[in-house]
Amino acid sequence: MTDALFLALSALAIWSGWRVFRVDSMVRASFQLMVSFIAVGLIAVLLAAPYIGIATIFMMAVEMMVMALFMVMFMMNPAGLNPMVMVHQHRFSVAAGSLAFAGLSAAVLLSDLPVRPVPEGAEVVRDLGHELLGPSMLIFETAGVTLLATMIGAVVLSAHSGRYGASDAGSRPPGLTPGGAPAGRKPEGGGGHHHHHHGGH
Amino acid sequence: MTLLSALARRAEIPVFAVIGTRGLGLAESLRRRPGLRLVDSPRHARVLLVAGAVDGAQKQALERLHAQLPAPRGTVWWQAEPLFARGEVVTGDDPMPAIRAAASADDPDQRPDVPPHPWQGIGPHGHGGRGMMGGNPYGRPMAMTADDIRDGLALDAYSARFGPFLPMLPPGLALDLTLQGDVIVSADVASAPFEQGPQGDAPDLCAARMLRLMGIGPIAARARGALLALPQGSGMRRRLAAWLRGEQVSETPDPLPAALPGLEWAEAVLWLASFPPSRLRAACMERHAA
Amino acid sequence: MIVATLALLLALPPLIWAAAMFDRIGTGRGAIVMGPIRNGAALMLRPNTETEAPDRLNRLLAPGWYLALALVGLSVVPLAPGIVATDLSTGLVLWGACEALTVVVVFLHGWSPNAPLPLIGAYRYVAIGLPAMLLSMFVLIGAALPAESLSVVEVVEAQRGLWNVVRQPLGLPLFMALGLAITLRGPFDYADGAELAGGTSAEESGPALALWQFARASMLVAFSAMAAAAFLGGHLGPVLPGPVWLLLKTLAVMAATVAAGRFFARMPPARMLTFLWVVLLPLSFVSLALVGVEVLE
Repeated sequence: MTDALFLALSALAIWSGWRVFRVDSMVRASFQLMVSFIAVGLIAVLLAAPYIGIATIFMMAVEMMVMALFMVMFMMNPAGLNPMVMVHQHRFSVAAGSLAFAGLSAAVLLSDLPVRPVPEGAEVVRDLGHELLGPSMLIFETAGVTLLATMIGAVVLSAHSGRYGASDAGSRPPGLTPGGAPAGRKPEGGGGHHHHHHGGH
Repeated sequence: MTLLSALARRAEIPVFAVIGTRGLGLAESLRRRPGLRLVDSPRHARVLLVAGAVDGAQKQALERLHAQLPAPRGTVWWQAEPLFARGEVVTGDDPMPAIRAAASADDPDQRPDVPPHPWQGIGPHGHGGRGMMGGNPYGRPMAMTADDIRDGLALDAYSARFGPFLPMLPPGLALDLTLQGDVIVSADVASAPFEQGPQGDAPDLCAARMLRLMGIGPIAARARGALLALPQGSGMRRRLAAWLRGEQVSETPDPLPAALPGLEWAEAVLWLASFPPSRLRAACMERHAA
Repeated sequence: MIVATLALLLALPPLIWAAAMFDRIGTGRGAIVMGPIRNGAALMLRPNTETEAPDRLNRLLAPGWYLALALVGLSVVPLAPGIVATDLSTGLVLWGACEALTVVVVFLHGWSPNAPLPLIGAYRYVAIGLPAMLLSMFVLIGAALPAESLSVVEVVEAQRGLWNVVRQPLGLPLFMALGLAITLRGPFDYADGAELAGGTSAEESGPALALWQFARASMLVAFSAMAAAAFLGGHLGPVLPGPVWLLLKTLAVMAATVAAGRFFARMPPARMLTFLWVVLLPLSFVSLALVGVEVLE
C-alpha cells in the first residue's frame, strides 16, 4: 500500500515537474510546480516526517500563490489567453539539467544511505522541535530575525510614503537649521521622480 | 430528475435587471419581493428584466447582455420600449406575472453564436503580440506593459469598456477604462448615466445602493460602522452620512476622466455610488457638451 | 477512524443546509427552510456557461477542490474522546495547509474563466487572504501552546480545565476574521463581492455555481468546527454527550460568523490591507505573547 502510494506520488511529482516547462502560461506553470511540491510533501508524510511534509505543502501553497500573483500583476493575462513559452536558453538549460541529474543520481547511488527505521510511536514532531529550538536554536533565530529585518527594510525602502514625504515628491529631509539646505546625501539629478503624478486619492 | 424539477418549480426566479431611464426606483421596488431574486451577474439569471426605457444607441450592448444569459432565458420589458423582438412588454406597475411567464420562456438567440473575431496570433509561438504580451488576439487588446501611475513600476495595463449595464456602476454609465491590476490608470466616459428623475435621488435608495456595494444591508448601517469603512478625505463618508440621516445630497462630482485615475476599482465604484444619479449625469453631460 | 469519517459525512449535509438557512434569516425573503434547497435545485437544472478561451480543467476542478479542502480541514476535528477521522500529530498544520490551498483555489476559480471581473476578484482576494491566513496561524499557535502539541486532539484535551476562549480572549475574534475570509463572506469577501458583480463566480452558472456555493457553505461548517475545537473546548462539556456539544458549538460559531459577515461593512481593499497589517496582525502577536507568558508561569 505504502509502496504503491510512494510510486504514484513520485510519478505525479515528476510528471507535474515536467509539465511546468510544457504549459503555455506562467500561472499554470506556478501551480504545476505547486502540485509537484505537494506530491513531495506527501511522500515526506509517508516517510514518517508529518511536520516537514505538511509544512512543505503549506509553504509551497503560499509561495506559489505569491508567485502567480506577481505573474498576473506584471502580465494581466487571464487564463493564459496569450500563450507563452516557458523555456529559454535551450543549450545552457540542457547542459545544466543533465549535469544536475548526473550529480544527484551519483549522490543517490554512491552514498551510503542510513538504514534506521523510525521506531513505532516515536514522537518525531517533538524531536524535531527539540532539535530546532535546542542545539540549532541560535542559527534559526538569527536567520529568522535577519530575514524579517530584510523584508521590513525592503518594504520601507520601496514604499511610496518615505520618511520625509512621498517618494515622487522628492522625499527631502529637513535642514539642520530652520529653513536650511536638506541634510544628508543629495539626490542625484535634482531629485524628484520623472513620472507624472496624479493626485488620485 | 423529477424531484429536482419539483423542487425547482417553487424556487425564486433569478432576475438580472437592466436599468433604463427612470428605472432605478422600479428595480429597487422589486428587491424585497418574494418569488424573485435580483442577481448581480447575467450568468446567474433566468430572466432579463429591462426596467425603464433604454436608449437606442445601447441596442448592441443590450443584445450582447441578452446573449450572456444562459439558455433557456426569458425577457421582460417593464415600462420600456422593446429594442428587439424578444419577450413581453409590461406597461403597468406589477411585472411579476410577466416575470413568471418569462421564467418558463425560451428566447431564441438574438445575436449569432460565433466568436466576434478569429484568433490572430502574430508571434513565433502563436501569441497575440510582440514579446509575448500585448497584441490583439480575438480582436481585443491584451494587456501590455506600461508605467504605473503611482510608483512608476512597469506593470501590465488592460483596456476595456465597462458598462453600460454593469450593476455596480450607475445605470447607463459606460466607461473606457485602462486598469493596472484593479487601479484605474485612465478613464473616459463612453456614455452618460440615464436620467432617473427626482425619485432616483431619494436618500434611502441612494444609501441602500451604496451599502449593498459594501456588503451590508441598511439595518447594519445604523451602527454607523459603514462610515468608518470608507476612506477619508473623498467626501464619501459625508455624503453617506447625509443619506443615512435622510437628507438630500447635492454635490456634483469632478469630471470623471480627472477624478477616477489613481482610484482602485472598489473605491471608484463607491465614489461613483456616493453621488446622486442626477448630479453624476450632469457631470458627464457637461463633458459631452464641451 | 472509519466511524468518525462516516459520522462527519452524515453530519455535513444537514450542517450545510443549516448554514444556508442562517444566510436567509433576516433577509426578509421567507422560505428559510426550503428556500436554499429549491434555489439549489433550480440552479442544478440550468446549464453551465462557456467563456472565451478559458482554462477548462481548472474551471471545472476549482469548486471540487474547495469542497475537498473543507472536508480535509474538517477531518482533523475530534468528535469525541478518541474519535477523530484524521488522527495526526500535526493536525493544526494540516488545517493551515488547507487554508493556504483555499486561497489558491479561489484564485484559480477567478483566473480560469478568462474574464476581467473574476480576475480582479481573484487576485485582490489573494492580497487579503494571505495576511488573514498568517493571522490565523498565530492565533492557532496560541491555542497549541497550552497543549504543548500541534494535534487538535491534544488541543481539545488541554481545555479540560479552562476553555481557550477564556484563557486567550483575543484568539476567537481574530480567528473569525480568517473564517470570514475563507468562506468569502461580508467584510472579507474580496473575491465574490457585489462591486465586482459576483467576482470570481461572475461567469459561472448552473451546477458549477451550485457546487461553488455548496463548497462555500461546507467551508463555513469546517471553519466553525475548527474554531469550536481550538477555542471552545470542542466535544468537552457536562451532561450531554461529546458529539452533541461539538454540534452545538459548531452551530453557535456558524451563526456568529454569519452575523459578523452581515454586520461589518467591506472596506476598499487597500484600507483593509492596512487594517490587517497594522491592527489585526500586531493584535495576534500580543495574543500569542500573552499566551506565552501565561504558559511560562
